[in-house]
Amino acid sequence: MLQIKLTSLMVEDQTKALAFYTEVLGFQKQMDFPVGEYRWITVAAPERDDLQLALEPNVNPAAKAFQAAMFAQGIPLASFESTDLDADYARLTGKGVAFTRPPMAAGPVKVAVFSDTVGNLIQLHQPL
Amino acid sequence: MVASSEGAARGRQRSELPYRMLIAASTFRRLVRARELLIRDTHGRLTVRAVAEQVGLSQFYFIRGFSALYGSTPHQLRTRVRLARAQELLAAGVPVTRICMQVGFSSLGSFSTLFTRSFGQSPTSYRRSVQVPRSFEGIGIPGCFGLLARLPPSNSREATRA
Repeated sequence: MLQIKLTSLMVEDQTKALAFYTEVLGFQKQMDFPVGEYRWITVAAPERDDLQLALEPNVNPAAKAFQAAMFAQGIPLASFESTDLDADYARLTGKGVAFTRPPMAAGPVKVAVFSDTVGNLIQLHQPL
Repeated sequence: MVASSEGAARGRQRSELPYRMLIAASTFRRLVRARELLIRDTHGRLTVRAVAEQVGLSQFYFIRGFSALYGSTPHQLRTRVRLARAQELLAAGVPVTRICMQVGFSSLGSFSTLFTRSFGQSPTSYRRSVQVPRSFEGIGIPGCFGLLARLPPSNSREATRA
């Protein structure tokens, strides 16, 4: 049986990314060790360390172009589930997070979109 | 981020709006365009004020919205773009004084100081660290891996002259 336990996002600056994903979003650092001139960093939601997100350095020019184009088109590159989207929206805007879409119903879910400040738009969703 | 959050704090005193960092679609497009302008301006010709004007945002909102979206102020991005260009030119063997002018610094001192603070080594020591050592020449290392992206094809010849 195959399972999905780890996925990754490209980030412009790993140090800034780790700070944003932990201090602002509230994830917890799981791994952080040097790999050459970069680092292998993973974060996870509190009490869900079996599902990890790697914050990888965005150094490949092709990946950079992809990331910038998706951002410019307003397309999020990941979606995190929220148990209370309105509360998370209020909490994150209170910390200065820039949303490009406020919470709104979209079929079976409510969604919102924000910038992670390291090159990606991220969606939040809450099943209705 | 420190400078920008100070700016945001000053803004907050002025008006405490509930959803102040909700960026409307039209503003989002303006900020994306502003970033493109800043990234292309490797000569440092555009001021932050000029970029704000070009995309049609007040300078105050431009700096605040840009920082929230991209994690650095327009000025920080502008500096980063110019220093990255300087790195490319250093690797290509262009003289430091010419590079300094080409990326829009008026004094060699301020260019050198900023470069050193950003990368932990001076422009000349950076140049030495990225150029291909004479002893490598002719061994037939394909390209010189890590440097491939930023070095022009003529670099190994330039390096041996330095």
